[in-house]
Amino acid sequence: MLVTLMAFGSILAACGGEEAASTDTTTPTETATDTTTPDETATEETGTDSESAIGLTEAEDIATGNDTALARTDSAIIGTVAPQGIFNPLFHQTSYDFYVDYLIFPSLTKVKTDGTYENDLADDIKISDDNKTYTFHIRDDANYSDGTPVKASDYLFTMKLYMDASYDGQSDPLSWNVVGADEYNKGTATDISGIKVIDDKTVEVTVSDYDAMTQVNLGGIAPLSEAYYGANYKQGEIASVKEFNTKPMGAGPYKLTKYAAGQEVDFEANENYYDGAPKIPKLIYKVTTDTTNLAMLQNGESDLDNITVTEDNVEELKAAGFLDVNILKNNGYGYVAMNNKNPMFADVKVRQALTYGLNRAEVVEAAYGPYAEVINIPQSDVSWAYTSENIDPYDYDIEKAKALLDEAGWVEGSDGIREKDGKKFEVNFSATAENPVVDALIPIMTQNYEELGVKLIVETLDFNAIMEKKDRGDYDMFFAAWGLTPDPDSTVYITDGAQNNSGYSNPKVDELYKEGKKELDLEKRKAIYAEAYQLINADAPEILMYQRTNMLGINGRLDGWDVSPYKDFPLSLHQVEIAQ
Amino acid sequence: MSQYIIRRLLQMIPTLIGISIIVFAISQLVPGDYITATQNPNLTAERIAQLRALYGLDLPPVQQYFVWAKNMLVGDLGQSLQHQMPVTKVINTYVWNSFIIAFFSFVFSWIIAAFVGVFSAQFQYSFFDKVVTLLVFLLMSLPSFFIGLLAIKYFALDMKLLPTGGMTTAGLNATGWAYIKDVGLHMFMPVVVMTTLSVGGLTRYFRTGMLEVIRQDYIRTARAKGLKERTVIFKHAFRNALLPAITLLGFELPGLFGGAMILERVFNWPGIGQIYLASLNLRDYPLMLGFTMFLAVLTLLGNLISDVLYGVADPRIRLK
Amino acid sequence: MEQPSLNRTEQLQEQLKIVKAESPWRIAIRRFAKNRLALIGLIILFIMAIICAFGPLFSPYELNQTNIKDKNLAPNAQYWLGTDKLGRDVLLRVMLAGRISLTVGLVATAISVVIGATLGAVAGFYRRFADTIIMRIADIFLALPTLPILITLGAILSDLKIEPSKRIYFLMLIIGILGWVGLARLVRSQILTLREQEFMQATEALGLRDSRKIFRHLLPNTVPIIIVSATLGVAGAILTESALSFLGLGVVPPTPSWGNMINAANNLIDFRKRPWIWIPPGVCILVTVTAINLIGDGLRDALDPKMKSR
Repeated sequence: MLVTLMAFGSILAACGGEEAASTDTTTPTETATDTTTPDETATEETGTDSESAIGLTEAEDIATGNDTALARTDSAIIGTVAPQGIFNPLFHQTSYDFYVDYLIFPSLTKVKTDGTYENDLADDIKISDDNKTYTFHIRDDANYSDGTPVKASDYLFTMKLYMDASYDGQSDPLSWNVVGADEYNKGTATDISGIKVIDDKTVEVTVSDYDAMTQVNLGGIAPLSEAYYGANYKQGEIASVKEFNTKPMGAGPYKLTKYAAGQEVDFEANENYYDGAPKIPKLIYKVTTDTTNLAMLQNGESDLDNITVTEDNVEELKAAGFLDVNILKNNGYGYVAMNNKNPMFADVKVRQALTYGLNRAEVVEAAYGPYAEVINIPQSDVSWAYTSENIDPYDYDIEKAKALLDEAGWVEGSDGIREKDGKKFEVNFSATAENPVVDALIPIMTQNYEELGVKLIVETLDFNAIMEKKDRGDYDMFFAAWGLTPDPDSTVYITDGAQNNSGYSNPKVDELYKEGKKELDLEKRKAIYAEAYQLINADAPEILMYQRTNMLGINGRLDGWDVSPYKDFPLSLHQVEIAQ
Repeated sequence: MSQYIIRRLLQMIPTLIGISIIVFAISQLVPGDYITATQNPNLTAERIAQLRALYGLDLPPVQQYFVWAKNMLVGDLGQSLQHQMPVTKVINTYVWNSFIIAFFSFVFSWIIAAFVGVFSAQFQYSFFDKVVTLLVFLLMSLPSFFIGLLAIKYFALDMKLLPTGGMTTAGLNATGWAYIKDVGLHMFMPVVVMTTLSVGGLTRYFRTGMLEVIRQDYIRTARAKGLKERTVIFKHAFRNALLPAITLLGFELPGLFGGAMILERVFNWPGIGQIYLASLNLRDYPLMLGFTMFLAVLTLLGNLISDVLYGVADPRIRLK
Repeated sequence: MEQPSLNRTEQLQEQLKIVKAESPWRIAIRRFAKNRLALIGLIILFIMAIICAFGPLFSPYELNQTNIKDKNLAPNAQYWLGTDKLGRDVLLRVMLAGRISLTVGLVATAISVVIGATLGAVAGFYRRFADTIIMRIADIFLALPTLPILITLGAILSDLKIEPSKRIYFLMLIIGILGWVGLARLVRSQILTLREQEFMQATEALGLRDSRKIFRHLLPNTVPIIIVSATLGVAGAILTESALSFLGLGVVPPTPSWGNMINAANNLIDFRKRPWIWIPPGVCILVTVTAINLIGDGLRDALDPKMKSR
């Protein structure tokens, strides 16, 4: 009994450091989160350390010690976390089911290395002048793996599934504002008036309102074969479609041949793929855990895997000699949230003081060594929206912090703790345990704030419990992390935004986000978001901590990768070849 | 005896009802639900409300309980939110993987513990006994993942005798005998480690049981009668020493199906333990509750079986 | 020279000393004190407790100190047991951890042993109604999903704003309360057997009170099983505590415990390359468990002379 209890907990340990938020936007093809994606070129770095740490280190000698892998002349084994077996872009929830879906279900557009989009299934997209009507033409040579052609009516069918009242997937299709979608959803119409099938390969979509994401949302749909999936579909009952979750069929580069739950997913190349048959005939997604995934790469038992970035692991991977080591910026960041609605944190000077008073660089270095960086705006530095102009880096300055607190009226009491209006400056801080950052953060934070005159009361808590406290607004400070979407639009900093944890409110920022969402010109959007970030930086609603990295270990015998924080590795699989 | 069994079976009903209420109440008290757990940053408040309605999370708790309980009576444990398929199907997919490991380690650990425990008692304080005792304590002092890592390091990485993990070799579509061999090879380490972990405690219990019995007068009598030592030990002493072990047997039944969370992770074994843990983290209540009730039934049955067996094995007890 | 003669009262007292039988417990304590191994066990435990309680006062290092530049060092002259990944002295952490782990291990086990043995004895002795109720409650406890309960408790403690350093006491209580069932069932089945034996008929004939029958005559005979359960329990409790930290019920980082120090090495790299991280806490748990067992064996031998072979 006790043994099982102990067993439970230790596993929980490993999961404890979960990061919040998946980056799944309303568009199905957006990458979710925290996995993978190295870049072939090193990006602009701010620190000298990071320059050498991040980027691609190529394999030196793929012939030595690599026999097991080299023996696989017609297949590649990709190590991954276990997918749930929900192989359908409408319903999948984890990145790992996503990885499978990438191979089977292409969408009208796909993401590029830099985070923008290009045509995939659609070979032509026309947009009306008022930006409200989008006409997609599907490639003539696009066929499903069973030989049937991809039709415009399939697109309409897929949209119907999204708008169906019983659709319970992770997307929010009604927010795409497709004309007639509401009526279909409510059941007052049997068709979606805003989607017209012009001919077998052309479909026209009209929206009632557009924004910067509209084209991405509409183009991100992967059409499902109506003949295959829609056999028993009735409006309002989507359950029959879910029956095919483990038996997917699509127009992508690979077909699924076997699914063994918790063990592996096997694929075979689709010779009818419109972009040319993939060069690797057989692919296997093998389930690995972080206990042994590194060892399996070293053994040649797997050809690719996502390895946690630690100095140890990097060293081991590089020492193997036949592995490409790709370290790239993770699309997300870690932060310490402050409850802005709490009177203790209401004054901007206090929040700034708490940021100046924390030695973030030391924490980051202790937790990740050279493999993470301190950030000062809530955006990845590989995004087009990133800026470092007029951004205060909040370098560790304890004297400045003390001065700010003095100015805000918090005076040092006799016991060293600051007081104001009879209240002591005591902060309750929650974090999940067994997290490399938290381990380093807590002692350093406790010491720093002690010097500042702030008493920190630390507790460790289950992740969901922290999130619930956040939802209720019952917290002082907690530590968490976000995943970012390629598009800078979000609701985190908008007053009462759906993801606004902290109660932060700045009307000017609200205005800027609204503008940025509507603006279609990239340069103009850049300027808008830059201004927003500058304001957020000055307001310091939270203490931004770090942007870390992800690491892909790839056996040098595989060539042809094109990966980035925005373009996950599965999107390269159709072009990768075994070159040994 | 049959009266006893029937009475116990009848008692199971209110017990199960009580368990279901308590377990359900706990699930309602646990902070967060499936929506908070998935932390999708792009859901608007309306969409969140829609999803809650679709998942049935917006009904008042009492109503949710009755819906769930009623469905359970007809064998429908609900739909797993995470896996998007019936809970019974999810459990059925993974539980048998856990079962084969648990079963073999159960058999091995009991056999080994019985022999070692008996010999330890027989030769109490001998070198053998001391070494065994120390070994047992050593195994008890280290968490399970340690033994697992040790095994992987030696068998898989250093000596390359066994695969690093998983249940089958990737890409191998073996059937029949070849498949059994493949699984057997992969199963070897997990079974060895699991056996090692449970054999320690069991050995202590067997040893203690034997020690108590061996000093009894009737054993001295048996020896004085000139019976072979082997007969004395196994025919007379052992059977009586087994009595506490019967109680332990009852706990094994749920253990066979409960999965081993840590070991499954270390060895990458597709078992139900990992699935349950994930369901906990993601607040997939139908799966959590369904699996808990499944184990609860097994627990009650296990205890019942061990109580009955005890009554059968020890004629001195009168089970009422 | 004449011996001073004892007066009448003293003479009677002398005689009474011989006549009055010592209680079994008193005999046991005397026997225990003569058992060398048992005393060694007791002394080891005592020494460990002293080292863990006072050792840190002599250390040049502090709990909250992180020296990144000194991280992952093998044992050397400056750091006798090496450092961990944040540059903290392992020796200091092992001692501080001992305070937590020893306390948790012993107290939690004591609680579950007391509850388990008592309930098991009551159930086995009275049978019928008491047995049914207690055993069904035991069934319920067994069937309860521990993790969700603990998560909820962690959240409740957080909402009640109980100071994190005090939560360790709840932890001990909880581990104790959740762990009583196994022992209860074992004790119960033993008592079911024992109560039918002849010596119990004797106690009946003597007209002893029920509580005397249970605590003075039946339970001592179940001590061997209790001891096995207790030794297993101590190790289990120590290791469980580390697991519960993640749920907000254990110690808060950077406070160490033997369990969470071992857990820090749960990957192949640390496990292989840096054994000084996990060997010291592992050895400490081993020593503690062995000491408890020696004490336990001594207790058992003291209570039942037939058990000893020498």
